[in-house]
Amino acid sequence: MFGYWDALYFLYAFFIGLVISYLLMKWAEKASTGTRRAGDGTKIYISGEDQDKIIPHFEHFEGYFTGRHVMWGLIRGAQRMFLAFRKEHTGLLTDYVAYLLLTVAIVLGALVIGG
Amino acid sequence: MIPLQFVTAFLMIFMGIYAFLYKRNLIKLILALNLIDAGIHLLLISLGYRLENGVLPTAPIYTGYETLKGTPMVGPIPQALVLTSIVIGVCVLSLAMALTINAYRHYGTLDVNKLRRLRG
Amino acid sequence: MTLPFLIIIPLFGAFSMPIISLFGKKLKEYWALIISGATLGVAAKIFYTVWKTNEIILYTLGSESPIGKGVKFPIRIVWEVDLLGALLALTITFVGFLAVLYSLGYMKHDTGLEKYYTLILILELGMLGIVITGDIFNFYVFLEIMSIASYALVAFRNDTWEGIEAGIKYMFVGSVASSFILLGIALLYGQYGTLTMSYLSLKIAENPTIVAKVALAFFIGGLLFKSGAVPVHMWLADAHPAAPSSISAMLSGLVIKAGGVYAVARIVFSIFNPGLHAYLKAFNMPSINMEAVGWVIVFFACLTLLIGNAMAVVQTDMKRLFAFSSVGQIGYILLGIGIGTLAYGSRAGELALAGAIYHIVNHALIKALLFFVAGAVIHEVGTKNLNELSGLARKMPMTTLAFIIGAAAIIGLPPLNGFASKWIIYESSAMYNPILAAIAVVGTVFSLAAYTRVLFTFLGRESEKVKSAKEPEMSMLIPMLILVVAIVVMGLLPWQINDKIMLPTARMLEQLNGEYMVALLKFLGGA
Repeated sequence: MFGYWDALYFLYAFFIGLVISYLLMKWAEKASTGTRRAGDGTKIYISGEDQDKIIPHFEHFEGYFTGRHVMWGLIRGAQRMFLAFRKEHTGLLTDYVAYLLLTVAIVLGALVIGG
Repeated sequence: MIPLQFVTAFLMIFMGIYAFLYKRNLIKLILALNLIDAGIHLLLISLGYRLENGVLPTAPIYTGYETLKGTPMVGPIPQALVLTSIVIGVCVLSLAMALTINAYRHYGTLDVNKLRRLRG
Repeated sequence: MTLPFLIIIPLFGAFSMPIISLFGKKLKEYWALIISGATLGVAAKIFYTVWKTNEIILYTLGSESPIGKGVKFPIRIVWEVDLLGALLALTITFVGFLAVLYSLGYMKHDTGLEKYYTLILILELGMLGIVITGDIFNFYVFLEIMSIASYALVAFRNDTWEGIEAGIKYMFVGSVASSFILLGIALLYGQYGTLTMSYLSLKIAENPTIVAKVALAFFIGGLLFKSGAVPVHMWLADAHPAAPSSISAMLSGLVIKAGGVYAVARIVFSIFNPGLHAYLKAFNMPSINMEAVGWVIVFFACLTLLIGNAMAVVQTDMKRLFAFSSVGQIGYILLGIGIGTLAYGSRAGELALAGAIYHIVNHALIKALLFFVAGAVIHEVGTKNLNELSGLARKMPMTTLAFIIGAAAIIGLPPLNGFASKWIIYESSAMYNPILAAIAVVGTVFSLAAYTRVLFTFLGRESEKVKSAKEPEMSMLIPMLILVVAIVVMGLLPWQINDKIMLPTARMLEQLNGEYMVALLKFLGGA
């Protein structure tokens, strides 16, 4: 049925992921104007050349090179998602009750209409 | 026609939920908790109620006497359920009171919106 | 008949605890250990009996037969133990025993210990009651016993604001959720006039009304809260870190399973039997569309495993991170149950249920281990902030080993037990709908990111706070090592366990031939 050999699918998927991310990186390097190569230890602003527009939490991003559009979009997107999740956890009892009622209402609606 | 006691029961439940959404005092929230419980108890109790041939049934205290007289009894199970549920409700009430006292000691307020150090 | 002792022993132990504690200082701890050990023995015996005979045990309280005198339907409280209940009882008593053993060292500096041990035994009793009961109001009573004990234990350290605040939030919203469950029970009783689960399933199939659907919605809403599914997971992230670590292990490992996902599975499969309703639908009779129920569960499962694991990434508090990870893992279990409902009767459905049950057991062991590790760190270093902790590996090598095993198992690395259950869930969801499998894998990616962060805590450079740390004492190390051994051994023979235990359990829960009902109907005399 299944066994440890099926775990090889993980490796297979992992390698495909590696190849895709390598191609994405190459594309980002070539396509976006913000990508440049810099020496080791140079400070890199992922907002591009503009030093005034520093992204909070990423001020000290040091490295070799970065693709402006792809990386920027991915990082900002991920960070915005986490911030939204954290903001949603307000710690107010009222909100907890409201979410409970919302859940019950969703389940009730789904079951009464579709059940 | 929906019997009046069912309407009352659901009204009580909704009143409790309303208080949970719009009231901020912890004591009022405890009252709201009991109001919801009381509404459900009313619903359960009225499930056991019935009118038989225009005669009001008696309480289900089973001694053998009722069957001789021929008067009907109300359903005994809902009453047992409500009794159990009331006991659970008292447990919840006392624990909620204890926690409220402790919260007042730590925060100096009963406003539930001030109790929000845990978040994120 | 050993079944009643599963409840009698912890009940007796819990309420004799205050008296026992009068006789000696150390006595109460050993008494708790003896009681929970005896309960573990009883649970093991029951599990072996059910597994060996592959038959449901039906026990009637206070009588020989559940049928009332002079009537033709069951009126007495029955306990109905199938393989799922027995398996969960075994898991609960095992982890509960280890938690009591761990408390010997961990709670040494606290006062009011007789209350602590009373509450821990009541918590165990409530969970055991939930998994063995076959009566829906009895289920509510045990659910409330468990919930009240866990509210009290979350707020056990009432000299800290954290415990009190988390306790208040957990308690108030939890009571509203319990009220919804009671409302569902009241509606079902009003419509069908019975409380016995297996008889109720027959009655509902005879006459599926809108009241049954509304009651089911209230059940699922309330139980999703109790299991910590996503829009209502916030109490979990507050309450589990605030409790003492031995209690966190029980709350995260057991309470959200027994009172949450187990109850969802029991209500969906044993009260609203999907097979019966699919059969009714095939003949164009009125029935409840169980696909809608399955999709509702799958929807909340996907939300849960994405947001729960993602929230774990951004936490700075170690125990809060573990709590959010618990939310994520509940998502996998719910996904398995949801697919089991959707693909009822097919190979994928059976596998998904087996995977969900397997993951319940595995996650109970793994999360107990991780919270024990967190407790050892708090006990020795005094902080659980990940920014202040770094480089514990040299000072606490055994604890670090336990953490690495636990983290690898919960992410699902191959030679450990988490891999097997997660793999079955992925595989069955891929068989049903590949998109669901993709979502599940994305959740695991977040989980990997979260645990890598904690790994740096152990393996990084030594920080100031860690300088004076040392290994915890033996009574804390031994439960961790037992759990490590259990995880590794279960990881070495995953497919044997799956074929021998989990698949029969899933089949019994699915009850393709109505085993759960037949166990009761025998008493009706072939009716």
